[in-house]
Amino acid sequence: MQENYLAKWLSGELSEQELQEFEASEAYASFQKLKEASSGLQAPDFDVDQALLRFKEEHMAKAPKVISLNPFRKFLRVAAVIAILLTGSYFYINSLNEKVTTGFAERSEVILPDNSELFLNADSRISYSEKNWDNQRNIKLDGEAFFKVAKGKKFTVSTEQGTVTVLGTQFNVENRKGIFEVTCYEGLVSVTHNGKEIKLPAGNSYVVINGKQVTGTPKGTQPSWMNNESSFESIPLKYVFAELERQFDVQVNTENINTDLLFTGSFNNTDLNMALKSISTPSQTRYKVEGDNVLFYAGNTPQ
Amino acid sequence: MSNVCEDHIFSEVFKAHSKTVFNYIFYKFGNEEKAHDAVQEAFVKLWENCAKVSPEKAKSFVYTVANNLYLNVIKAEKVRLKHADSLVRDRTNESPEFLMEEKEYQKKLDNALHALPENQRTTFLLNRIDGKKYAEIAEMEGVSVKAIEKRMHLALKSLREHIDGI
Repeated sequence: MQENYLAKWLSGELSEQELQEFEASEAYASFQKLKEASSGLQAPDFDVDQALLRFKEEHMAKAPKVISLNPFRKFLRVAAVIAILLTGSYFYINSLNEKVTTGFAERSEVILPDNSELFLNADSRISYSEKNWDNQRNIKLDGEAFFKVAKGKKFTVSTEQGTVTVLGTQFNVENRKGIFEVTCYEGLVSVTHNGKEIKLPAGNSYVVINGKQVTGTPKGTQPSWMNNESSFESIPLKYVFAELERQFDVQVNTENINTDLLFTGSFNNTDLNMALKSISTPSQTRYKVEGDNVLFYAGNTPQ
Repeated sequence: MSNVCEDHIFSEVFKAHSKTVFNYIFYKFGNEEKAHDAVQEAFVKLWENCAKVSPEKAKSFVYTVANNLYLNVIKAEKVRLKHADSLVRDRTNESPEFLMEEKEYQKKLDNALHALPENQRTTFLLNRIDGKKYAEIAEMEGVSVKAIEKRMHLALKSLREHIDGI
């Protein structure tokens, strides 16, 4: 092979024979990939017209500066511009975000402009910019939602406790007081929490309860609440009760119960009594129902 | 002899070559601000010497000035380049895993580029991004075509070794 053959290869100057020899070599695939990848590189944007304008203003200015003798006039002009800006901003910001909210015992489905789907669990809020969706797919979430993201640009979910970034997949994000949980059901997501970035492949959960991280292995292809069942794996009782409140729109009180005890199990979201039994039996507690109020109290015998 | 003192001609020269100067300094240092300043500096010198430079010589003039502006590359920042989406956009193979692998490769490429000696990196990028032929780069750098070919060859070799972990 001739000297500097790699350079010759890139510029298409290799002979037929040399080319065949090179293509048959072990390293060829790597070089081919390099060639393609480097073709796609781009330098940062450079606005030539703007640079020229700057150059002319700074180095080619000919006319002497004109100093206005009436500063008030200038102020008036400026005041007007500001006023317009403010008014304009108000309408712009207001039209910026689509908001969807679910109340207690309520669920909702949202189809996003790119046909991504999201399902809101009870007592949750999301907001996003429909106008800007083409440029940036970002959803603000407070509560819990299950996402089916259509393939496309980067898709991010911002919550108070962390950010989730995905490329095209299905995942669940739960952000409630004291709990931040992300479960990936298909594909791959990246979770940013407290400055750390964690990659989460399908079939994995990233759970943080009161600042402490716990591991989880979710089952199934979508969260159980989508099938009207709330399930928990080693989750403190107080969060189980909180979810019960959200699903049935009831008020839960406790007496002599350690609500930090870990609970593993599930309850059905359609029948309150069945749900209460599902919680009390494994946790060895008892309950009393009065209208919209439920009281859990210590007990040693299952109901 | 025609020169570049005329506004219209000077503007044309600016429009034709400012981006290349910008990219060149950026590839060298990885710093956009430096690159912007270099453009302004180089063309200021051209403007100051406009009577002595013909339009044909203007290109190598600004390039030489830019080249000499920062002679010591003490420590270049990481050159942040944008990567186009994969050219092999096979719709049936766009799984998230595939896309993640692409991202990993791009990161490796960025690191490998940063590890190159400055003149190899600059030459390589001028060829790959700006599409400059070896002869053109040789003229800009004031070296022989063979020297440019050698830089390209070594750059490719190093990049490949760095990415494949050899």
